[in-house]
Amino acid sequence: MARAFPDPPATLVAALARAARFFPERGIAMLDSRGRTLERRSYPEILAAAEHGAGRWATLGVRPGERILVCLPTSWAMLDAWLGAMLAGALPVAVAPGASMGGGEAQRRKIEQLVASLDARFVVAGARFARDATARDTPRTAAVALAMEALDRTRAGRVQAPAARGDDVAFLQLTSGSTGTARAVMIRHRAAIHNALASDQAIGAPYGVAIHQRAEAMVSWLPLNHDMGLVGCLFLSIICGLDLWLLPPAAFLARPRLWLEHLGRHGTTFAPAPNFGYQLCVERLAETALDGIDLSAWHDAMTGAEMVRPETVDAFCDRFAHRGFRPQAFRPCFGLAEGTLAVTFDQAGRGMRTRPLPAGADPALGLSEVVCLGTPIEATEVRIVGPAGQPLPGGEIGEVRARGPSIFAGYWNDPEATAESLVDDWLATGDLGFLDTEGELYLTGRNKDVLIVRGRNIMPHELEWLAESVTGGGGAMRSGAFSVARGAQGEEAVLVVETQERDPARRDAMARAIRVGVGRQLSLPLADLVFVRRGRIPKTTSGKVQRRQLRAMYLERTLERLV
Amino acid sequence: MDNKTKTLNIISKLSGKPADQLVPADELVADLGIDSPKALQLLVELEDALGIEISDDDAARMDTVGDILAQVAA
Repeated sequence: MARAFPDPPATLVAALARAARFFPERGIAMLDSRGRTLERRSYPEILAAAEHGAGRWATLGVRPGERILVCLPTSWAMLDAWLGAMLAGALPVAVAPGASMGGGEAQRRKIEQLVASLDARFVVAGARFARDATARDTPRTAAVALAMEALDRTRAGRVQAPAARGDDVAFLQLTSGSTGTARAVMIRHRAAIHNALASDQAIGAPYGVAIHQRAEAMVSWLPLNHDMGLVGCLFLSIICGLDLWLLPPAAFLARPRLWLEHLGRHGTTFAPAPNFGYQLCVERLAETALDGIDLSAWHDAMTGAEMVRPETVDAFCDRFAHRGFRPQAFRPCFGLAEGTLAVTFDQAGRGMRTRPLPAGADPALGLSEVVCLGTPIEATEVRIVGPAGQPLPGGEIGEVRARGPSIFAGYWNDPEATAESLVDDWLATGDLGFLDTEGELYLTGRNKDVLIVRGRNIMPHELEWLAESVTGGGGAMRSGAFSVARGAQGEEAVLVVETQERDPARRDAMARAIRVGVGRQLSLPLADLVFVRRGRIPKTTSGKVQRRQLRAMYLERTLERLV
Repeated sequence: MDNKTKTLNIISKLSGKPADQLVPADELVADLGIDSPKALQLLVELEDALGIEISDDDAARMDTVGDILAQVAA
């Protein structure tokens, strides 16, 4: 049934009001850890709550442009705080709340660093965080820490923010950046709108209509601090007028079946996930445990945000073929926070297409084939460049660059990093790949140091800092962290550590301490831990660890491991 | 089957280490490879098998097999 689609909104603020007005019967449902509906709100209710949220920020004296860190799990409290901050003219920044088991210290340190680097006006988190901040003698953080309960009790005042315009920065998105240090991506209202509408078109391309004319709902377990969750699910649903079902990420990780159950329950659905999510479904749902799962209404399964692994896609298709899942539903895509989200989509709709791994591709990712990620979204160009930034002919591997209305406005308060990533309007993605003769994109690796392990982005310095705190290293004695991948499991973390310690028993004790530290603080098992003599880790003349070179030496077995 | 046995069986299943070889000092992540997704699975299976609820705060304090046994099978 064709529905009249209202004119595109100019800003995300307008998009909320437009959803309330034109899609009043649609809305967002928060699900609990067992997949039951906790609370569903219609778009009019969501708008009212966001306006109330904005009023609370106004009472607290928040001024336009100020940074509000929102460190809460998927919940109405989180959305009311985030959307409320945006409606108040402030810049919301969603921060991942901590891991479930162990590791509070690393998380607290991370938030302290963000409070300082973003000069945050407030960080709203659970009550315990605010208490801890005072107890830990971190005055800067304690001054801005706000318990969610306290925010909730604040009376809503009058909002006096200037009307948002398309060119204004709407929010900040945290990303690892190319050197593994946290950066805040500035996304303008008009870029967010463009990305959602262009995705609407691209996902619908195989059907000849925008996806909003075919689908009724999205089901997501992605965290709202992640671009795929925020832009790809939340904004897309609001702008397209779809129902959205939100599972907390922990609920999916504990019970992946909940995601699949919901995908079969709400009319025609579509959903994105990283490869890791599909892999988890394959690993955790045996053939015998599929009763009650019907995936015939799940028409489009986007896969992106990390390297798409053919073994995972094949295994998922095999496992769920008898449950109505069609292989053509898989829609590989490519994007990144600096592109708002989506840059390319497979628009053929024939399922995953692959080519053999070309010569010159990075062996560290353990791929034997590369996956077609399709063509750029509307008004967007993609090209491949060499080390000097020169465009390369089709088929050659180089850095992927993109240009168009969805590209970010730069990193907040970091003109140097911005200048490295935005070169004459072209976004230097840090991902490596090639374009085939049809202009379709394939990724072969990345230039970035971030580790992507089981769906999590981990910055190498987090591991290195931990290792060096055990060994008393740093300065002359360094460590280097990177990832290597083997098959469907994806990437695993490897740590190489320089040491002067000659006694193997003492080195074993150090290794154990490092593994326990990394395990407790980062919830990360190490696939390998290698000790080498001091000075053996390659560094630049300024002493920066060259992680890609280190990884190459590891894979080629030219590192002299101390045993 | 008592709670301790049920608990060790679940940990064994998720880690691949035989239940009779598990010791209280075993670190969930470093020794048993139980990363974030597996940790969530572990919590869910413990809750279901033992008929209990484990709060986020309690879960945050579980680093070893011994920590879990102290919390759920005391």
